[in-house]
Amino acid sequence: MKALRIAIPLFLLLCAGLLFADVPVREEQFIYSILAFNGKDYAGTFARKDADTIYLVADVDNFITVRKVFVYFWPITEDWKTDTSALNIPFEGTLELSGRQAEPETIGMTPYTYYNIRGEYELNWKVAKEAEADQAWQHYQDLMDAYWQSVSKYYETRALYEALLNELTTRITKMRDQGQDVTQLIDNLKKLKTPPEPQYPTEYIVPPMAVQKAFILNLPVGEYNIRFYTEDGLVMEGSERRIVAFEKRRAEAIGLEVIPGDKWTRPVESKTPASVLYIDGSTDLYLRPFYQQEYNDLFYEKMRKNDAKGNPALMKWVRIQQVPKARVEVTSPSSEARMVLEEPFYVEQVKGAALGYQIVPFDPEGKHKDREPSLQAFHIPITKDQRVVRVRVQDKDGEYLSSSERQIRIITPSRVGFISLILAVAPLVVMILVMARRSRKYTN
Amino acid sequence: MNQRAHATSVLARRRIFETLISPGFYVAQTIGLVLAYFLVAGFIRAIDSSGFDYQLYPAYELIGRSLVGAFGATFVEKLFSEGPFLFTLYIAFLPVLLYLAVSSVFRFGLEKKVGALELLAYGPADSTSYFLAALIKDILMTAIYLVVLLVFLFVAGILNNLILGPSFYYSLIILFFLSIAIYAYGIFASSLTDNSASAIAVFLGLILFFIIIMMGSFTIVSGYVRNLASVFAWIIKWISPLFYWDLALRFVEVGNWGMYFIGILLLLVLSTAVLLISHLTMKARGVRS
Amino acid sequence: MIQTKNLTKRYGKFTAVDGVNLNIPAGEIYGFLGPNGAGKTSTIMMLLGIVKPTAGEIRLFDETYSSKRLDLRRRIGMVPEKHPTGMWTWMTAGEYLQMFADLFGLEDSGKRIDHLLERVGLAEVKNKKFAEFSRGMLQKLSIVRALLHDPDILFLDEPISGLDPFGVKQIRDLILEENREGRTIFISSHILSEMEKVCHRVAIIFGGKLMAEDKMKSLLTTLAKDREIHVGLEELPADLPGKVKSLDFVQDATGEEKTLVVKVPKTGDYRKALSKFLIDQNLVPLSIQEKSLSLEEAFVTITKENINMFAGIGGEK
Repeated sequence: MKALRIAIPLFLLLCAGLLFADVPVREEQFIYSILAFNGKDYAGTFARKDADTIYLVADVDNFITVRKVFVYFWPITEDWKTDTSALNIPFEGTLELSGRQAEPETIGMTPYTYYNIRGEYELNWKVAKEAEADQAWQHYQDLMDAYWQSVSKYYETRALYEALLNELTTRITKMRDQGQDVTQLIDNLKKLKTPPEPQYPTEYIVPPMAVQKAFILNLPVGEYNIRFYTEDGLVMEGSERRIVAFEKRRAEAIGLEVIPGDKWTRPVESKTPASVLYIDGSTDLYLRPFYQQEYNDLFYEKMRKNDAKGNPALMKWVRIQQVPKARVEVTSPSSEARMVLEEPFYVEQVKGAALGYQIVPFDPEGKHKDREPSLQAFHIPITKDQRVVRVRVQDKDGEYLSSSERQIRIITPSRVGFISLILAVAPLVVMILVMARRSRKYTN
Repeated sequence: MNQRAHATSVLARRRIFETLISPGFYVAQTIGLVLAYFLVAGFIRAIDSSGFDYQLYPAYELIGRSLVGAFGATFVEKLFSEGPFLFTLYIAFLPVLLYLAVSSVFRFGLEKKVGALELLAYGPADSTSYFLAALIKDILMTAIYLVVLLVFLFVAGILNNLILGPSFYYSLIILFFLSIAIYAYGIFASSLTDNSASAIAVFLGLILFFIIIMMGSFTIVSGYVRNLASVFAWIIKWISPLFYWDLALRFVEVGNWGMYFIGILLLLVLSTAVLLISHLTMKARGVRS
Repeated sequence: MIQTKNLTKRYGKFTAVDGVNLNIPAGEIYGFLGPNGAGKTSTIMMLLGIVKPTAGEIRLFDETYSSKRLDLRRRIGMVPEKHPTGMWTWMTAGEYLQMFADLFGLEDSGKRIDHLLERVGLAEVKNKKFAEFSRGMLQKLSIVRALLHDPDILFLDEPISGLDPFGVKQIRDLILEENREGRTIFISSHILSEMEKVCHRVAIIFGGKLMAEDKMKSLLTTLAKDREIHVGLEELPADLPGKVKSLDFVQDATGEEKTLVVKVPKTGDYRKALSKFLIDQNLVPLSIQEKSLSLEEAFVTITKENINMFAGIGGEK
């Protein structure tokens, strides 16, 4: 009993202790901050002190800076993260690159900036270097200056407009009270137009940052070694890293993003050419074809995030961008081939107590006025009585894109599936027959 | 026909007949086909409106999680990209492969120990014709089973609106040649040892070693494990049938048919080399244990 | 038919067979004797081409023999001591024999199998699984297997061990019958009494060396130091042995119940003289039998001498 009186509180304390997550331990580390090209645009990652290899796509510009930051492990996502708000000291110096070339090469820092613009379908990170970086930064500066000027001018115009509006309405009121004819004044009032608001520049999703300096690594396929020399010519301890520059194995294959009508926020991707999409036929599908490239799984994952895991023996398809102005040919045994065009759709919440939504064609003039479409895709109607639907993608010139063929097979529970089980035990039946026959031979 | 070929033919016919009238082969086939049935049925249960999701069915969730944990999501995605049949092929093939390989190794060791091999030598049939007969039997039984499995999966596909994709066929063909190499290693293990237990231990040890090296260089689990396996793999790969199997499949993935068939040819070359070594070993050691 | 010259087999440092010279003429029943570990099996395995000699030569049918000479191996049949247990358990006797007939590429093998099975009394069990056979039946089946291809030489290793007396007689008769048909028989056996009954010639191997090889009678005569004449009497007077000793050809005389045992020299026939002496003593010989050295005694004599020899030279083996 006494033991229980001690054990129970102890147990509760232990549980309570578990409720409080440990504050992650931050460690000051020298890292390589990497802005790497991923096949379509740029994404950032970092190589901390324990990462001995950096992975980069070959034959494209990749930007590397050296800095001191806080690094910590975030157990919830099982990720290593940096805390640059508390510590972010960039280093200037040179990078020594050795590898395929006979002599080590010294690389200096190059000015660059990066920004995000709206692509045809996806957002795209762009990087500008050297003079282009200055131009991009200047362009952004000019855009913002023009905008702020137009804002200023707008406020002035608006003040004038409001003053005029005020004066007119006061006069109209006064004259009406005096029984005077105010028709002309009312006409003038009606002709008064609200000054248009200045539009914020929409050229950038994320505007360029101020021009910084980085080492640009544009390497042929192979393995290299780097180390960092500070401004005073000394090697920074712990700066040695191996670099693996890799390339895509195949390109220009087509993948399909498959959005089911009942789970539109959870699309899946059909990337492997000749893959088959098996569905239960309970809802329509919305497709988006995209270009894809094939990279080594491990290399690509580690290029995107240096601490990621990947399989070195496998190649994976990576989505690059949606096929612009494509058309999808849909055929099924019960109907002729027809072309499906990309259309906008809107997701409407189902009214009433029932939870759920439905995807309907986007009606910009009607009920969806002043709204944005929820998705733009190719609508493929599916019914359970279909067995197979085949799709094929055409580009904007009407040419069929190779490796875009997919079969969509509708799987419904089969009443004759048990036949397979009977077939599975058929060898046993054969065995019994054979052994019986042999046994008869002996007894005879 | 020379005496060795004649003796091989006589013994092979007897071994084939013996296998066909014994329960073991049928039981192994049934185990394989029943496994296949459940894997296909489970796949169907794991399909929803967006496609196959292994998390929808408990057995597949276990399989999926284990494979993802060991080899990564890309591996699982590719494995099931054409449906259940590629995975099912490998799983359903295992019981028969193991049965044929292990029973032959066991039998070889046992017959050597009790003097049956010696008795056949009075036949006259030498040890080479003996193991070639066993090999022919194993190859024929494997071919029979692969046809049975193909028919079974084809029927299962028709009944459930599933299709056998190109990866399935490439893998089916390469599996046949891979199995020949495995049987050759079984004969090699038997030629080195004096009894069944040792032969099976050597054989399974060899195959397990090849598998571990292969899987080690395939895994996402640990960089150290992978690096260590890669070092071994670089040395071992030339004698590992799994290396040539993987090579052929990698090339056919990118449509390089020439290299796919070279992979098959290299499997045959490896098998022949192992059999030759077995022949020389048996010749040096004799038929008496 | 079979000759070996300096036939030697070494396993590492151990010499199992050391310079054995055999000469087995055609048409004989040749006995090969030796204690366990003497080198019998190694010698037989070399003669069969199963084991490769370390040194020496084997000539078979006047041709140099090796395991590659399949044409010569086809003229040999072998009945091993033990049939492999647990093997081919699914086969009937007929199927088992058919397999070997097929290995030899025999035509009309069905008839031959039936004929041989008839000869050994196994015709009725042709369709029975031979795994269910008794030891004697297996042995007979083994002999049938060895005879299928009508070999010129038949090797038998312990052909009658484990058999009942009836089985022993059957095998013995079979061996004699095969020999009468012209087959050379090579037998290795521990049952010396049987070997003595059937063998024309014997060889004794010990410690890997050939200690003796000769026709049966010659060997026994050579090894025998003396002979005994056993005389059966109605009554054996107590002083009779003493009186018999006075004869000049008698080396020794003793009495055993009603039998007078007289040792005489190896050569010469002394039965008449002895009979005459006994008659002169008013005794009536009921039986007179000459007992020469048995094969077992000869075997023991040779091996015992050589054990002493080995013990003296190199210590015990």
